[in-house]
Amino acid sequence: MATPGGPRPGNFPPNYSTNTLANNMQNLQINQQQSNNPRGDAPRPPHAAPPGQQPQPFGGNRPRAPPPGVFPRGPVPTNGASQTTLPWNPASTLTSPSSVFQPPPSFIMRTPPPVALASSAGGPVPPPPGAAPLTGPGTRPQPFISAPLTSVPPVLPQMSTSGPSNNGPTAFSSWPSQGGPHFPPAMAGTPQPPAGPPQLPTLMTSGPSAQPLQMRPYFRSPAGASPVTGQPAPPFSAPTQSMHQPSGSPHGMQAWPPQPGQVAPHPPVPGPMQQQRMYGMLPAPPPLPNQSMSLSHTGQSKIDPNQIPRPIRSSSVIIHETRQGNQSSPPPPATSDYIVKDTGNCSPRHMRCTINQIPCTVDVLSTSSMQLALLVQPLALPHPSEEPIQVVDFGENGPVRCSRCKGYINPFMKFIDQGRRFICNLCGFTDETPSDYHCNLGPDGRRRDADERPELCRGTVEFVATKEYMVREPMPAVFFFLIDVSMSAIQTGATAAACSAINQVIDDLPEGPRTMVGIATFDSSIHFYNLKRALQQPLMLIVPDVQDVYTPLQSDIIVHLSECRQHLELLLESIPTMFQNNRTTDSAFGAAIKAAFLAMKSSGGKLLVFQSVLSSIGIGSLSAREAEGRSNKTAGEKEAQKLLQPVDKTLKTMAIEFAEYQVCVDLFITTQTYVDIASISVVTRTTGGQVYYYYPFSALSDPAKLYNDLRWNVTRPQGFEAVMRVRCSQGIQVQEYFGNFCKRIPTDVDLPAIDCNKTIMVTLKHDDKLQEGSECAFQCALLYTTVYGQRRIRVSTLSLPCTTMLSNLFRSADLDTQFACVLKQVASEIPSAPLTQVREQATNVCINILHSYRKFCATASSSGQLILPEALKLLPLYTLALLKSIGLRADGRVDDRSFWINYVSPLSTPLAIPLVYPRMITIHDLDEKDLDDSPIPSPVPLSSEDISDEGIYLLENGEDCLIYVGNSASPDILQQLFGISSIEEIPNQYVLQQYDNPLSKKLNDVVNEIRRQRCSYLRLKLCRKGDPSGMMFFSYMVEDKTPSGLSYVEFLVHIHRQIQSKMA
Amino acid sequence: MAASRLPEADLEGIEGVRMTWNNWPRTKVEASKCVIPIAASIQPIRPHVDLQILPYPPLRCKTCSAVLSPYCRVDFTALIWMCPFCYQRNHFPQHYQSISQTNLPAELYPNFPSIEYTIPSYPQNPQNFNTSTTVCPIYLFVLDTCLLEVELDFAKSALKRAIGMLPDNAMVGFVSYGTQVQVHELGFSEMSKVYVFRGSKELSKDQGFCDLLHNEIFLLPASECEYTLNSLLDELGTDQWPVAPGKRPLRCTGVALSVAAGLLGASMVGTGARIIALVGGPCTDGPGSIVSKDLSDPVRSHKDLDKDAAPFFKKSVQFYEDLGKQLVSQGHVLDVFASALDQVGIAEMKVAIERTGGLVVLAESFGHSVFKESFKHIFEDGELSLGLSFNGTLEINCSKDIKIQGIIGSCSSLEKKGPAVANTVIGQGNTTAWKMCGLDRNTSMTVFFDISSNEKSDPSGTNPQLYIQFITSYQSPDGQTRLRATTVTRRWVDGAVGTEDLVSGFDQEVAAVVMARLASYKMEMEEGFDATRWLDRNLIRLCSKFGDYRKDDPSSFTLNPCFSLFPQFMFNLRRSQFVQVFNNSPDETAYFRILLNREIISNAAVMIQPSLISYSFNSLPAPALLDVSSIGADRILLLDSYFSVVIFHGTTIAQWRNMGYQNQPEHQAFAHLLQAPHDDAELIIRDRFPVPRLVVCDQHGSQARFLLAKLNPSATYSNAHEMAAGSDVIFTDDVSLQVFIDHLQQLAVQAS
Repeated sequence: MATPGGPRPGNFPPNYSTNTLANNMQNLQINQQQSNNPRGDAPRPPHAAPPGQQPQPFGGNRPRAPPPGVFPRGPVPTNGASQTTLPWNPASTLTSPSSVFQPPPSFIMRTPPPVALASSAGGPVPPPPGAAPLTGPGTRPQPFISAPLTSVPPVLPQMSTSGPSNNGPTAFSSWPSQGGPHFPPAMAGTPQPPAGPPQLPTLMTSGPSAQPLQMRPYFRSPAGASPVTGQPAPPFSAPTQSMHQPSGSPHGMQAWPPQPGQVAPHPPVPGPMQQQRMYGMLPAPPPLPNQSMSLSHTGQSKIDPNQIPRPIRSSSVIIHETRQGNQSSPPPPATSDYIVKDTGNCSPRHMRCTINQIPCTVDVLSTSSMQLALLVQPLALPHPSEEPIQVVDFGENGPVRCSRCKGYINPFMKFIDQGRRFICNLCGFTDETPSDYHCNLGPDGRRRDADERPELCRGTVEFVATKEYMVREPMPAVFFFLIDVSMSAIQTGATAAACSAINQVIDDLPEGPRTMVGIATFDSSIHFYNLKRALQQPLMLIVPDVQDVYTPLQSDIIVHLSECRQHLELLLESIPTMFQNNRTTDSAFGAAIKAAFLAMKSSGGKLLVFQSVLSSIGIGSLSAREAEGRSNKTAGEKEAQKLLQPVDKTLKTMAIEFAEYQVCVDLFITTQTYVDIASISVVTRTTGGQVYYYYPFSALSDPAKLYNDLRWNVTRPQGFEAVMRVRCSQGIQVQEYFGNFCKRIPTDVDLPAIDCNKTIMVTLKHDDKLQEGSECAFQCALLYTTVYGQRRIRVSTLSLPCTTMLSNLFRSADLDTQFACVLKQVASEIPSAPLTQVREQATNVCINILHSYRKFCATASSSGQLILPEALKLLPLYTLALLKSIGLRADGRVDDRSFWINYVSPLSTPLAIPLVYPRMITIHDLDEKDLDDSPIPSPVPLSSEDISDEGIYLLENGEDCLIYVGNSASPDILQQLFGISSIEEIPNQYVLQQYDNPLSKKLNDVVNEIRRQRCSYLRLKLCRKGDPSGMMFFSYMVEDKTPSGLSYVEFLVHIHRQIQSKMA
Repeated sequence: MAASRLPEADLEGIEGVRMTWNNWPRTKVEASKCVIPIAASIQPIRPHVDLQILPYPPLRCKTCSAVLSPYCRVDFTALIWMCPFCYQRNHFPQHYQSISQTNLPAELYPNFPSIEYTIPSYPQNPQNFNTSTTVCPIYLFVLDTCLLEVELDFAKSALKRAIGMLPDNAMVGFVSYGTQVQVHELGFSEMSKVYVFRGSKELSKDQGFCDLLHNEIFLLPASECEYTLNSLLDELGTDQWPVAPGKRPLRCTGVALSVAAGLLGASMVGTGARIIALVGGPCTDGPGSIVSKDLSDPVRSHKDLDKDAAPFFKKSVQFYEDLGKQLVSQGHVLDVFASALDQVGIAEMKVAIERTGGLVVLAESFGHSVFKESFKHIFEDGELSLGLSFNGTLEINCSKDIKIQGIIGSCSSLEKKGPAVANTVIGQGNTTAWKMCGLDRNTSMTVFFDISSNEKSDPSGTNPQLYIQFITSYQSPDGQTRLRATTVTRRWVDGAVGTEDLVSGFDQEVAAVVMARLASYKMEMEEGFDATRWLDRNLIRLCSKFGDYRKDDPSSFTLNPCFSLFPQFMFNLRRSQFVQVFNNSPDETAYFRILLNREIISNAAVMIQPSLISYSFNSLPAPALLDVSSIGADRILLLDSYFSVVIFHGTTIAQWRNMGYQNQPEHQAFAHLLQAPHDDAELIIRDRFPVPRLVVCDQHGSQARFLLAKLNPSATYSNAHEMAAGSDVIFTDDVSLQVFIDHLQQLAVQAS
């Protein structure tokens, strides 16, 4: 690996002798490095210790499959102890926690996460792991893993042993990033975790008893299955006092739902229209968990904002067994921290249903107004403590499948007739058991070997695919980088950032002889590079015809990484200087991706595009229609909404062709202008890729994120040339799939690439009645090729009970999943419907559900009360937040909205909530808090009332991270956190740095922990009151009243009124 | 001995003009009775020892812009000259004040009918004004890479040598192509940089392409880019695109040439430039394709062309015609060096090559001496220099009543209308001015004239002399702008056909060449044209007109010596590759014809009727009859058929040589005898372009066919017994010259 900063290993060819070139590169790197690595204390060369070249026994960081944002270079185990070198690489911490605090792994195969990370993180974090011991395992994963991999086939075929083998490449099994420092305690059985399981009984019992439907306005916290209930009772203790307290300590408490008591004291506000009881505080405990509120129609909130439902996040870890007592157990909230034990159903990480009981009939479902849908994330990252997914090899015959519906063997297939036949739980067909798969049944009717065979006892397994599942040899891992070198890209530093990021990522590409890379640059023409080793230097091949593009060479454009590494590094270093005088302002983006596609066509692979300006010439060129739209205000909303649609079909047609040849496009948009994301994102959505958006691009603060995003993009668990299908039990069928993929036939989705972050929403519909008391199963099968070229089928099966009881549906509703579905549907509507209509639709979803609940499950309660089902009590808040989100605001930039829509499309459930309802914490008092298990303090409600002028707040939504500095913030704290003495010095472009004080260290811990949780590096921005950045910050205060939106309380009133009018 | 080949050296003289008829009939009717058209073969920039180069611009007539010539009537006192073409009186300018009868400027000297002027700068081209002092030729090399490795190596080394030979200030560019076209940017220092164009699509001439090419440096002085180019050539490999089994490689010659033209057109319009294409096979992709990609489809033959069974031909010709037009408008030259065992499409490219005055060489391999030596030759300096010049324009002024039908040769019409334009067109007509993007010292072309007057126009007042002035302006190899004015005069002949004057003015060598050129032209232009019949008919008519005979008495037939060789020329022409095309591929035919049209008369005559020299112990080397009877066991024959030079050893000679007598001191004479034809062949080869193929063979050897094919089959298997021993027979059914003459006499004497 090249060491951009350090002395070159002397492999500059003579003709590069110009030192200036090298120097430029160095400077460039240094700058970037500084931004990454902003520790101002030492004048050391940032890359002085390139890890790749450290004589570490295991060659540095190559093999691991690290979580996002690891800064590859810096951290070397040896450095761990001494912070001086790169200790606080912001990036590095991301990965580190997982490894650092990892308890000894419980599985044989599991290796602690990469050590290198640990060391980098090691500085500030208590360094218990000690550099030395960790080093070994950390670097080892690869060899380690590879063994099981290769050994799998021979071992498993006999099936005599249960043979839990590690699943495939390291990446998959040991994706550690979810690990967090707080895990150890959880594992160790600290008092909190039990809170999780105990709920279950409660829930169960409360379910049946709910039938009477006596509605109580009262709210009963512990009944819910939500994390809320997981907490011990303290909040109850002081409900009243907290109400008028200034925001501060009670924050944690506020979120507690059980403060209805507070409502009570309020005198009823005489509603102008109705005399109604504002609160019905009947003492009888409600059978069904609800939250009710008394609301007046005036909306004058006599309601204490502190008592209305707000999310609370449990910081303790929940142990979740997917089935208990042969019953499906409802999953913990998606946003909580949990460890899954796969006992039959798949992990909720892989598949979640909006309702954890399936309505037997379509009537029941439609009465509930809820939606039945699945969110599947087939390659979701496991928790580090979870058992790896097991790989099953059925040898030449391939996995056992139902001969009718082709469903895969799963724990819910019922073996009968001494095991000679089995009944498919999906289609009900009775199949013959293949003779070599036969096994006698035990007295309990299960196969005797059921517990030894992963496919018969686990909800998720991975089958080794046979030739039958291949139309060609599994494709190699191909990474093609396409870089914008137009004038603007060069001058804003975007090109340099991209080149540097790629250069650093080369080492992280999947190791192995099958990994291939290619590179091209483009402005108004497209420049390919022949990286073949035999050549003296890379050869630049220019394709000038951007109307009708082609690839300039048949081979040698995409080369095996091992053959071209040096050329590649050299090239990446020289590209920014080579084009530094480029005066071409045009961009042939469309033509460039087409040309790159043609080069990749024979193999397929990932096309990573770094784009900086609007595509202006050649095929698929675009116009600055945003500006046109702006000047043409009169056209109204209809025109505005058109800007969110692709301008024409050109790119869509191209994208479909890309997908057909298994080319996946990821866009890294490093721009300072409008690039028409609405049009170009079609390519990523259709090919299973995604858009990364850096606007406005800053050469100071963005390269680090760019690098980390890219790194995560190539290192995360992923697969290629994938096909996915969801099968359902008879009575239910898939209605539609939503997400980033290409669909050519109705039943399957084609995914040129899929990774652990991609989620696909699957809406379901009834086509028949289901049997009460039976179970309904969903099976997601993903056939894909690993980065190492193995063909695999990952099968996740989820079996849920069926019910006819409406109340059961409400009790088992999964808020996170439901809201994620609403979010995705709304997002997909935005480009095609007027904004008001979309907003109304979103509100109506909320109203209808609550109305249905009010009408059918809480009939006994007073009409003056707003009654919320416990499981969905945050639905109004989230809905309100959704209405105020970027996508649903008319005032945003078109590109911002388009990006938002795109971001939502493949978004996973755990990230959906924070996107609309960000997490805000105070950071000025970080060191005062004693956080025992999580470095992240409890969140603060998103209300400007909770923002004090003395405070400093951090707000993050999984993508952006705003740090708001109050005007009266203590200079001392400013100094500690940001190294500035007054708020006037707050920089526009911010780079997180770590200073030598506890507060700063904690802030870094917090940010790194957030990064880890979100698998995202976050764009950091400092905000202060009175300038645009402050406005932006306050726009996230979703509970506030805004010129165009209601406050939270007003919204509740609005909802309530709507429900009432429906009831009437 | 060389003299024997050129018995009448320097017939062209300083004028460089030879005419079929040196005395012209007065009327159109009489002209048509002459059978052989009135035509002049001109060599516009023929070098000559006596040629004067004047360092000032010419004086031109203010109405017809003819240049002052010795044939102008000059009034020295009034300082007025009268234009012999339009009779306009022109005043001499101030600086001619001092001229007098005894103090003539060079252009008025009667023995300088040709004179050359140097024009310091070229005012017509204001945008290039600054550069005009440093005008240097541009060489844009276009190299086919769909070759065998070894062929490519030959081509590359030829290129390298050529680049080394270029003058330092010559601008050089490089384009390689195969399935795609690669334009190499030579001025990019960071890394090798190549623009790639797809081969399957014609380049659109939108400005995107031009803009692009404007910004970059594709052309560099040879001195600056020699190293770059050499290393680039070192790395250049054969085309990488895979060739499916049973398919031809995809080769986009058409697009490559189009890109090259575009490249020059983008920045170098009006500057002398040549595209030098090295082509190794047929174009199979994109515009200009001549054959399908499928190997099972053979490249078109003459038969296919006749039957209209060559689906690519017309489209391809159209493409090259357009390309030619583009190049002409830019003033650039297309040279093609084709080296392949099969055809490469010269037949289609011919139009572009000819219009631009380009060079063409057809060889079997880039390793063959025909290619290697010829390619080297064009970069040769000094005595052997071809004198490659650029941007030539030819204007013709002629006396009243003379009309110009057109020119067959390497030029293109500028469509400049004038009173001298004839109604009927031959070749590039409809004009009195022609563009010659490229021309060299040997470039020669045929101008066809017509007489417009139907009656004798006012015999009293007319001058018995007619005048024709050829004005050629061009850019010489050293970058100077020159103008050559050649004024010739001939005599009008009054009276009936067959007059002594007319007959004595007949140049049968020129007439044969003109007939060959015209026949070739008609074969190409006129569908179903039967050249043999046409030639026969004309020959018979000519003999009837000019022969002395008694009607219906063949034995009485005699011909004036001025015509006596003509029937034999026709006999050989009928048998030549120009008429008997079916023995050759269309590419070869096109190649032969291009050269026939652009060579000087003596060389063209050799193409039609090869020269044969016999070497033996008993006599000096002497011209021998082009007849199979010239073969003798103890003789060595040297045949020059222009495209090949054959040294043919008789059986005995071959045996002696095989025994090594020539190495024995006592047989030194034999060694000399063996060496003599080689020396002569060397002389022939040395200053000829393209370099002819040298064939050394022995009697009864397989290579002997190169000789036998050219000989008059006076001895065939039918009359072999009559022949002397040691002689040879030709196995053919072709008629011999004797039979041909006999028939001719019979037909000529018949009443027409």
